[in-house]
Amino acid sequence: MAVAQSSDTGKGSGFKGVMNRLTWLDRLLVLGVGLLVAGSFTLVKAGGAGQRVVVERDGKVVFNGVLTEARRVTVNGPLGPTVIAIKDGSVCVLSSPCPAKVCIRTGQINRQGELLACVPNHLVIRVEGTPDVENDYDLISR
Amino acid sequence: MTLSAVDPQALEPIRKRIFLALFTALAVALHTLEFLLPSPVPWFRFGFANIFTLTALFLYGGRAAWTLVFTRILVGSLLIGNLFSPGFLLSLSGGVLATTLMTGLHRLGGKAVGPVGISVVGAIGHATGQFLVAWLLLVRHEGLWLIFPFLLLFSFLSGLANGITADLLVDFLKQQPAFRTAGSKTESARELRRPA
Repeated sequence: MAVAQSSDTGKGSGFKGVMNRLTWLDRLLVLGVGLLVAGSFTLVKAGGAGQRVVVERDGKVVFNGVLTEARRVTVNGPLGPTVIAIKDGSVCVLSSPCPAKVCIRTGQINRQGELLACVPNHLVIRVEGTPDVENDYDLISR
Repeated sequence: MTLSAVDPQALEPIRKRIFLALFTALAVALHTLEFLLPSPVPWFRFGFANIFTLTALFLYGGRAAWTLVFTRILVGSLLIGNLFSPGFLLSLSGGVLATTLMTGLHRLGGKAVGPVGISVVGAIGHATGQFLVAWLLLVRHEGLWLIFPFLLLFSFLSGLANGITADLLVDFLKQQPAFRTAGSKTESARELRRPA
């Protein structure tokens, strides 16, 4: 080689030199960490999908069911019956006796932590990831 | 040369100490410079200072890397003015986890792992350490985890870039007379035992 520098490594310089100096363990580490990073994307996405529907009236659970099962539920509030539809892993409000119909216009929800609220009819429809109803919080600030 | 008159055994630690101080100063400069760069999310930083951690690790070993990291975080935070603030805690936790992984890997792997492999692992360690402390102390919100993969991806890419830079720097420095003996203890010991 023309570059006759007395380097310990002596495998060329520049970017090519770096590639030459990479050991099999280096490549393995880069590949492994790369896969880990890619895996973390799918993991978070999977964790984000909801599993259960919980309907509360004034803080009391009046309905608790799975998202996978297509069904219609009628829940009674102070104003009258609110009809909720569960279909294809999503929940939406079909009809409500409230004046503003915000709950209907919110549309479908399917991700963990999302909610539909009908304030006039005192109803909150939540999507949860785990069947555990007690240990559920949105935020703890210290 | 006048240097040859000096006992090389006495000269080597002094040289090492001076260069380590220089690396630390440069790492502090990069740490501070990076703070001045605009970033969309507080944790998304390039970690350029890690180039010098890697350089110190490969030239002078794990202890030197730890010294550099702690000094950099302390002095860097003093300069920025966030000593003992949440940002400082994030820096510290990220730095400690990253350096633990990097020095451990260097010790275990020996010559089988180069700066690139160690840098990538360190970058992920830094992101994870920061994130855990952020989660435990600052914001306990499920939504925080949604940005974690993006942080990891960013760390991975910047770690790769820093590793390549560190590899080039270490290779360049090793060709310099001042660093000939650095990095390989057996070689320097042999050289020192050689009768003058």
